[in-house]
Amino acid sequence: MKIELSEELKEEMKRLKEELASMKEELSEVAETKRKKGHGIYIDLGNRVRDYVEDVMEGVAEGIHGELEKSIFIGPRGVRIFKERERRRVEKEPKVNFPEVAEVMSALGQEYRLRILGELMTGGKYMSDLQEKLPEITTSTLSSHLDVLQEAGLAVQEKVRGRYLITMPGRAAYKMARRITKFLERGKKE
Amino acid sequence: MIWHEYQLGDTVSKTTEDTRLWESEKGIVEISKDALAIPIELDDEEKGYLFHGQGKLLLDTIVETEEGAIGKPVERELNKPFLMLADTEKTQQSLTKASEGDLTKMGYENKQEFMEEAHDLFNRFFKNGSTHSRHHVSKHRGFIFAFQNQTNKLDFLVANGPKIVYTAKDLVFVSNKNKVVLKSPDEVVCSDKGRSVIISKGKSVIIKK
Repeated sequence: MKIELSEELKEEMKRLKEELASMKEELSEVAETKRKKGHGIYIDLGNRVRDYVEDVMEGVAEGIHGELEKSIFIGPRGVRIFKERERRRVEKEPKVNFPEVAEVMSALGQEYRLRILGELMTGGKYMSDLQEKLPEITTSTLSSHLDVLQEAGLAVQEKVRGRYLITMPGRAAYKMARRITKFLERGKKE
Repeated sequence: MIWHEYQLGDTVSKTTEDTRLWESEKGIVEISKDALAIPIELDDEEKGYLFHGQGKLLLDTIVETEEGAIGKPVERELNKPFLMLADTEKTQQSLTKASEGDLTKMGYENKQEFMEEAHDLFNRFFKNGSTHSRHHVSKHRGFIFAFQNQTNKLDFLVANGPKIVYTAKDLVFVSNKNKVVLKSPDEVVCSDKGRSVIISKGKSVIIKK
């Protein structure tokens, strides 16, 4: 069935088509302007989204990494979180006092003196206790080793009871010996 | 009773043997044979002695912490006159009257010279020392020692059982069983059964449990 449109209707449809084309053109212009101004209307779904997300995640990862370096200290006793001020304090290493450290190192440079410190790590000991623990050396040798440790400030003897005690530097020195052992063991495994 | 009621006696004795005046787990005060002694009296009762001879003070001013021992023991030769307030019963047994020769051995020309020096120390302890002038001491059951240091000022040791207080020029040590406080030029340490606070010179505060 063929419908005959009147001339008047044809004219009206033609006008509407032109109006629609004009509106499309206007919309296209507005969209282009907004995109150029960065108002976010123009969205290109596709690779851009993935790239954007990747960029954001990369930035976040860098931030986290930097923050980790700043505020977390991983030591032999576990993880400690420091505030910025504390971190600076940890990083501030003292200068090495070569003569004093050399004296301490010299005192440590003997197997039995290290063993004695190891015994003292568990608490104060009388001479007889140490003799019992180290039967392979004579009393006079043991006594001279203890003198060296005392002179280096790694041990101290009570004057009344006579017990030998490990000092704070002594503990630090023995901990250092432990760490060296750990490194040596690791080296052997590798 | 207040300090000024104490009197310095006028008889000079000497020790007949090496005598341990005070002893505890952490310290010893000894006086050797032939040391001179003058009694300190309160209402005609002996409450202590002023000694001059070769003596020795040992005191373990050491604090044991989890970070290691802190402090060094005190070992002092007591070759200047010093004073002791304590139960005198045991000391009396090892005393005999001193002769002019005994005084000469200690470097005094006569009794008067020794008495003058003894009064000087006695007065500094009992009368001039503002810290002590109003304190009651008559009922004490422990020991009080006053030693003259290098600068002729007085260092004090007060002990009663396990309780010890020692104050010297640059050291304060307070101990009662496991509770210890030590103040030295390098650090201040407070410790109580393994828990300790350590404040070191130029370093941070270490708190350990």
